[in-house]
Amino acid sequence: MNGWRWFWTVCLLVAGPSFAYITVVVAIRGLRDLLEMFRALAVRPTGDGNTPRES
Amino acid sequence: MLLLGILMNFTRLDWAIVVSYLIASVSIGWLGKRYIGNVSHYLVAGRELGVYIGIATLAATEIGTITFMYNAELGYKYGFSAFAAALISGLVMIIVGRTGFVIGRFRQLKLMTVPEFFEVKYSRGLRLLTGVLVAVGGILNMGIFLKIEGEFLTIVSGINVRYLVAVMTVILLLELIYTVVGGMVSVVITDFLQYVLLSVATIMVSISAVYHAGWANIVHKVTVTLGDAGFSPIQNPKFGLTFIIWQVLLWFSVVTCWQTTAMRMFSTKSPETSQRVMTWTGFIFLGRGMLPMLWGIAALTLFGVGRTDHGVPLPVVGGQELAPIDAMPAMLATILGPGIKGIVVAGMLAATMSVNSSYLLGWSAVISQDVILPIRRLMNKPPLDSRRQILVNRVANLFVGLFLMFWGLYYTPPGAVYLYLNITGTIFLAGAFVSVVGGLYWKRANTTGGYLAMLMGAAGAVVPFFFLHWSENVTGFVAFGLAAAGLVGGSLLGTSSASNNFSGTTQLTTGETAQ
Repeated sequence: MNGWRWFWTVCLLVAGPSFAYITVVVAIRGLRDLLEMFRALAVRPTGDGNTPRES
Repeated sequence: MLLLGILMNFTRLDWAIVVSYLIASVSIGWLGKRYIGNVSHYLVAGRELGVYIGIATLAATEIGTITFMYNAELGYKYGFSAFAAALISGLVMIIVGRTGFVIGRFRQLKLMTVPEFFEVKYSRGLRLLTGVLVAVGGILNMGIFLKIEGEFLTIVSGINVRYLVAVMTVILLLELIYTVVGGMVSVVITDFLQYVLLSVATIMVSISAVYHAGWANIVHKVTVTLGDAGFSPIQNPKFGLTFIIWQVLLWFSVVTCWQTTAMRMFSTKSPETSQRVMTWTGFIFLGRGMLPMLWGIAALTLFGVGRTDHGVPLPVVGGQELAPIDAMPAMLATILGPGIKGIVVAGMLAATMSVNSSYLLGWSAVISQDVILPIRRLMNKPPLDSRRQILVNRVANLFVGLFLMFWGLYYTPPGAVYLYLNITGTIFLAGAFVSVVGGLYWKRANTTGGYLAMLMGAAGAVVPFFFLHWSENVTGFVAFGLAAAGLVGGSLLGTSSASNNFSGTTQLTTGETAQ
């Protein structure tokens, strides 16, 4: 039981900080990605984007 | 005055935070409308997702209030041994992300839905069958979301249960407004906001739960209540080796073939981007599972003093005995202060809306692209232009939303919610995963095998669970086993598939016109 207890404690210590760290990184860099997506969509053609399979 | 009358746990500050979030979310989502030029924009955001926005939308899609609720329930009932499910989900995502297993090739194919692959590889008829199974299984899976989410909101905010249906209907309508109008673009924009908010709420609740329950008390409670079974997933009678193997199979199928997850992979800029998104989201998934499970264990520590049910004391809050799944929201209502409670509920609403909007889009896309359009072609009707395809998608979106409104609020799932969701997902995931892997990596896989895999996988999930009342673990195991046997048996007996020309490392192209 002790082995499992320590194992889950370590897992939690990896999972919690990873979750927080990725949140901060994504909050900052995700905004830049979002603006890039808007720019790309604005200049893309608006005609049929469908494939032969879909129509 | 009416609002003040129905809100007992909320202060004006909490309410202001929640309303501000709702207004911001719907307004920002509405912006997506201006970027919808064709069906590819509507369903896969023009395949313009970068790594970080990809992580945000994938994480937000698969982290909802329903996720917090069922994971907390698992933690309450099974202690730390439930962490095994979270660990498996995260590790499988990291492995799939690092190797590009299935997702890399899917992205190269420029698909919009998972069943679409079945026409590329197998036949139009199998795409239609898969589309029906995916849509039915997926919508039934999503069908219980509203009820569980409503329970959470009722308990934490103190909304009178009489207003529950009205509140959840309003939330669903708000989600529909921007999802129907702006499709994937709106969903991605709102997912970003919602991901940040739900993550902040997750971190705040985790710190608060451990602070109030105390780490030493948490470990002690699990030890005296559950013993070894509270720590070892092997020794816990609900889990064991069959559960672990089933979960590994299930999570490989979820991260590769689950429509809402796959749509994010289809929406990325490149196969390499999709792999990076999957890898980093794998780390988020460790926390997505373990942190809410920890909340559940903290709730067991604070409130688990009632009569014993299946070896676990029921939660008692304010002298009232609750179901284990309601222990976590009851704990939040008790330990969170004014302002913090508003942020957390806004975060949970964000989680709810991001999941629901993505699922609405995902399942309606399958209905429109893989059921309605193939049927039109079978009836020799002329092809639809992009504008009409978007219209069909929007109507399907509304249909799914209406179904959820009437079904979701009144249906009560049997047993643990997590396991119910797993089984309804397995109905189509077992056959779909086996057929996709066989189709991509095995030259002999053919249409006969694909049909048998889908039908035997579905039968393997439905018959043992609903009619023979076998356990979820064994049922899941049987479903994947039968699906694999169906694919191999059918492929060896049937003739080789003519379109089987992309096994191995061949570059995949399908001739999408605009992308």
